[in-house]
Amino acid sequence: MKTARYGIDDRPIFVIDQSRCIGCEACVQACSECGTHRGQSLIHLERIDRAASTQTAPMVCMHCEDPTCAEVCPADAIKQNEDGVVQSALKPRCIGCSNCVLACPFGVPKYVADFDQMMKCDMCTDRTSEGYAPMCASVCPSEALWYGTPEEFHAHRRGSLVDGWLFGRQAVTTKVFAVVDDVAAGPIDVLSGEERGWLDDPFALEDGAR
Amino acid sequence: MARIPVTEEALVERFGPHLNEAPPGGWDADLEIDRVVDTHCCFCGQQCGIKLKVHDNEVVGFEPWYEFPFNEGKLCPKGVKRYLQGSHPDRLLHPMVRDKGSPGGFRQVGWDDALARVVSEIQRIQATYGDDAFAMLSGVSLTNEKSYLVGKFARLALHTANLDYNGRFCMVSAGAGNKKALGMDRAPNPWSDIPLADVVWTAGTNVAETFPITTSYIWRARDRGAKLIVQDPRVVPLARTADLFLPVRPGTDSALFGAVLHELIRNDWLDHEFIDAHTVDFDQAAAAAADMTPAWAAEITGVPAARIGEAAELWGTSATGMMLHARGIEQQVKGTENVLAAINLGLATGKFGKPGCGVSTITGQGNGQGGREHGHKCDQLPGNRDITVPEHREAVAKVWGVDESEIPGKGLPAVAIIEAIHAGEIKGLLSICFNPAVSAPDVNFTREALDKLEFYATIDFFLSDTGRHADVVLPGSLHEEDEGTSTSGEGRIIKINAAVDPPGEARRDGEILCDIAERLGRGEHFRYGSNEEIFDELCRASSGGKADYTGATWDRIESEMGLFWPVPEVGHPGTPRLYEGGQFAFPDGKARFHAVPYRPPAEVVDDDYPIWLTSGRVVSQYLSGTQTRRIAGLVDQYPEPLCEMHPRLADSLGIKNGDQVTVTSRRGEITLPAAVVTTIRPDTVFIPYHWPGKKAANQLTIRAVDPVSAMPEFKVAAVKVARAGERAHP
Amino acid sequence: MASVTSSVDRRGVTWGLVAVAVVVALTFIGSDRLVWFDAALVGYLFGVVFAVFGVVYRYAVWLRRPPTAMLNKRGWDAFKARKARNAAALPALVGTHVLGQTFIYRRSKTRWLAHQLVFWGCVLAALITFPLTLGLLHFQSVGQQADRYQVYVSRVGTAQFDAGTVIGWVIFHGLDIAAVLALAGVFIFLRRRLNDPGALAVERGGDFLVLAGLFAVSVTGLFLTVSSMWLDGQFYSALNTLHALTVILGLMYLPFGKLFHIFQRPGNLGVAYYKTANAEGPQAVCRRCGDGFASAQQIADLQEVLPQMGFDYGTADDGSYQDTCPRCRRASVTLAQSARVGGFG
Repeated sequence: MKTARYGIDDRPIFVIDQSRCIGCEACVQACSECGTHRGQSLIHLERIDRAASTQTAPMVCMHCEDPTCAEVCPADAIKQNEDGVVQSALKPRCIGCSNCVLACPFGVPKYVADFDQMMKCDMCTDRTSEGYAPMCASVCPSEALWYGTPEEFHAHRRGSLVDGWLFGRQAVTTKVFAVVDDVAAGPIDVLSGEERGWLDDPFALEDGAR
Repeated sequence: MARIPVTEEALVERFGPHLNEAPPGGWDADLEIDRVVDTHCCFCGQQCGIKLKVHDNEVVGFEPWYEFPFNEGKLCPKGVKRYLQGSHPDRLLHPMVRDKGSPGGFRQVGWDDALARVVSEIQRIQATYGDDAFAMLSGVSLTNEKSYLVGKFARLALHTANLDYNGRFCMVSAGAGNKKALGMDRAPNPWSDIPLADVVWTAGTNVAETFPITTSYIWRARDRGAKLIVQDPRVVPLARTADLFLPVRPGTDSALFGAVLHELIRNDWLDHEFIDAHTVDFDQAAAAAADMTPAWAAEITGVPAARIGEAAELWGTSATGMMLHARGIEQQVKGTENVLAAINLGLATGKFGKPGCGVSTITGQGNGQGGREHGHKCDQLPGNRDITVPEHREAVAKVWGVDESEIPGKGLPAVAIIEAIHAGEIKGLLSICFNPAVSAPDVNFTREALDKLEFYATIDFFLSDTGRHADVVLPGSLHEEDEGTSTSGEGRIIKINAAVDPPGEARRDGEILCDIAERLGRGEHFRYGSNEEIFDELCRASSGGKADYTGATWDRIESEMGLFWPVPEVGHPGTPRLYEGGQFAFPDGKARFHAVPYRPPAEVVDDDYPIWLTSGRVVSQYLSGTQTRRIAGLVDQYPEPLCEMHPRLADSLGIKNGDQVTVTSRRGEITLPAAVVTTIRPDTVFIPYHWPGKKAANQLTIRAVDPVSAMPEFKVAAVKVARAGERAHP
Repeated sequence: MASVTSSVDRRGVTWGLVAVAVVVALTFIGSDRLVWFDAALVGYLFGVVFAVFGVVYRYAVWLRRPPTAMLNKRGWDAFKARKARNAAALPALVGTHVLGQTFIYRRSKTRWLAHQLVFWGCVLAALITFPLTLGLLHFQSVGQQADRYQVYVSRVGTAQFDAGTVIGWVIFHGLDIAAVLALAGVFIFLRRRLNDPGALAVERGGDFLVLAGLFAVSVTGLFLTVSSMWLDGQFYSALNTLHALTVILGLMYLPFGKLFHIFQRPGNLGVAYYKTANAEGPQAVCRRCGDGFASAQQIADLQEVLPQMGFDYGTADDGSYQDTCPRCRRASVTLAQSARVGGFG
């Protein structure tokens, strides 16, 4: 049974397992219902290469420990909460330059031209601060986006949780955890993962057995 | 003649579909929430729990309902945006009659005038052509109470045999197969059994797009180490990560199941004890599969023989296993046979009546389960009773307070009703929540039939593509405007709560039906103080039937977060898992194997129409799209139908991704953009069916039906494909 | 707060002191060697001097952060590259970006209305009080006419007006008008903040403080008018002290809190020029998909700034991960993660 509302001592975490994404876009639709940015969907979800696969790439803000977006912001507009959540650019300060959009290693911030402002996922601060799961992780049917305590995770999920990433030489630590089979293999090396473990020849076109 | 009164453009301008983009007052409105109502999503048989936020009699948002055990707050995109169907500019607010001179072709009238017209036409047609010349078509978006009421209304108020429902296009093959093999028409398992399975086999069900919430159940099984087998002509999203993919050619599923049974027998992966103790006719099934070798099946199905062997081994050697099937195997002229062949695999390996074991359909429509239990099928009475069996008729007649002879006999199923209209045998029609102009096979024929009606009245909340043909339009109620129960795909009776009142002059569906009954002089049978009274009567009428609701009450359903039927007596805890201890729903308690020899689809590819067509759904749309094509976020997600085809096929036809292509069958043609993807069999094209008119995939589908279930063959047709404007070269 | 660094920034101090010197000089000269300086306003002058020092100090420190310095430079470069065109475009840009604040209007009409009310209230108040405080502006009655006044800028007499006329009323009640505008805005903001759970959640403390400050300044100011007009000056001196206190505290808060955006935000004019120039320049090409995705100039600028901020996104092939488009970054992250869970994908 999922916990409906977490207490102050529960320390729930956000976990992402992109491999499970079914591309349904429930998260995209639910994101625009988030109280801190109603009407604006800030999560990303794309088909990686629809011609070849149904695989999709969901992406929430990973909430870096040392956020590149904040460091490259000329207006000093991107702030971290005490709990490590990186907020949308402060509305009064953001000057709409898009440095953060271009520098974020995860490709997260969005420049919203209408508002001349960067907006990004803030882990539904309105919800999480009250003990509720973020919208996307509440609705995600495949649990590719998941929110709960580590104990709840390990009670019914396989895999381990990592919070370390490598982008070339740059190591990044995030508040959001990702699922891997083997945590001992270290951080997820983003530039080494292009190999596709695709269903081999799904229609048996190669072996002549069709 | 029930022809469309004005041009399609004029109808669209007045009645939509227009797109609702934002909640009432806009995204920026900081509205105070008057109340939050626990209810359910209306878009599919999973019936996910959801909380609707209400301000000033309008639904203005939603909140996940974490405590509801089935979905624990999870929703698909349709569920998330479902609240935008209310407060919609297209909502029908007043009764209307057809009037070419009025904007949009309809003129607003008072309820009295509208209902007087309906009643006089019913009486005229029945007096002129006989009672059965007036038919009724119903839908399973309706609650159990309304389904029950419609059944009673058609039999006692209209006194017509010709009542059928749109579950005919959805659930009937599974229902027929379940009844024949297991003795009862309900999913045998609660969904909590799925995570307990060591092998999960999805057959003809695009779980990720049509039942997204079930994905999490399957992942929980896989987290325990379960293997996943996916059987589909397309690499659907769930198949991407499957352990074994069976790329079955459309319309050949029973051959695949037959070969798996053959392999189970050959390798003795059988549960002999279970077969001996709890089943009959195994020998007949075995004999029919005797020659169905994997090599033979590979030829027919296109699935490599080795993979068939692997599937049999996984299924046969796993201690527990769940097979989930849906429209892919059911919407065929041998849909019932496919279901029986699938059940054979469960019976042969003893996978019934135990935790983590079962062969189960996944119900498609909102109340697809409950709606097929309470008597608005042409052959059925409440409690899933048979309208042709005298004892069943007697039991219901007693509850209704009528003589058994007053209940008409078995009527025509949906496609046959449309054909009878086309043939001029049925002259009048009343429909509620059914849109055959989009959802029926061979829709060009369906539209011709609608044109021929002498009188057509519809009860609906939006003017559907079918409703455009109506003489009288009666504005009914949306899901969130009325109270009742529905029964989800896992057999759980749940409570639907009203969040708001019907807007304008719109009325609750039940009130409209009871009002018509009153005016037809049959009011004595239709005087209810509340929907709860209807439910209580339904429970009494179901008592002793297979779908037994005797011990169910609204209070219990709500406080226990749902109740699994059968609930045969007051205080009974309900029955989440059926057939425990191998006790099946036949007098002898034994399940039936069936011999399922293979037979080809109604239409097979040939030189003129060399490509298989299969149809289905996308995740952002629901059924005929009457509701979901009006919600902006959902339309953005998949705005128009695309024709999926493999690059090998596309190359051979000179087609590139995004090209306009014309797909032609013997019934009609459709021109739409090509989506060239490697995720579909090279001999097959796929088109989703949610759109009307020239974008309707069902212009191509065949009006052939399963002889047992009367289910049309939506999943298989022969077509040719060419770039738009070019002749097809077969 | 990043700009209030633990060690004092020397250059910032220098610029701050220079600015203070300028203000003092301006006061001295403008008030005709303090002849017209109103001694009663000395507290306000102190507040102004503090604010000027703080704002300039912080601005100087801010401008030296590598990304800010880069953007500042590029903004001016972009402006100078097409001086005539850019100068011609300036009035419209100031109109939409600084005065009209259309970007807020598109976000929310009520929020825009509130911000405009507060903005114009503050602008009006500043235009009146700063010259008065610095002694640059004063009023003298004309001859023996009790109701006729003349406006003096420094020692130069300008327009005359009758106190009884509409113009006179407006001039004497300018600050009351400013206070009413600001109060209206404050109430709209407050209502939004209290009703909207989303706004409450991202509340950063300073937001309420600013509203409270604006409220205090406006209300105490209005009470001064009430006291002099209807209460025969009762409580005037106490109220005057209270008002001065709120204003001085407000001025002292200016460099630190949320209100610093008043000085920061016009930076988006430079960004507008930078973006226009970039859009006309060459595009950076994504190392993964080969499509253009951003201005080559901005990507180059970022790659100069990133090492200064301590980042190294260099790759084994001597390229930079930062040459990947955002879409491909998301795809790469997904593929890399999927490869670590059994390899399917």
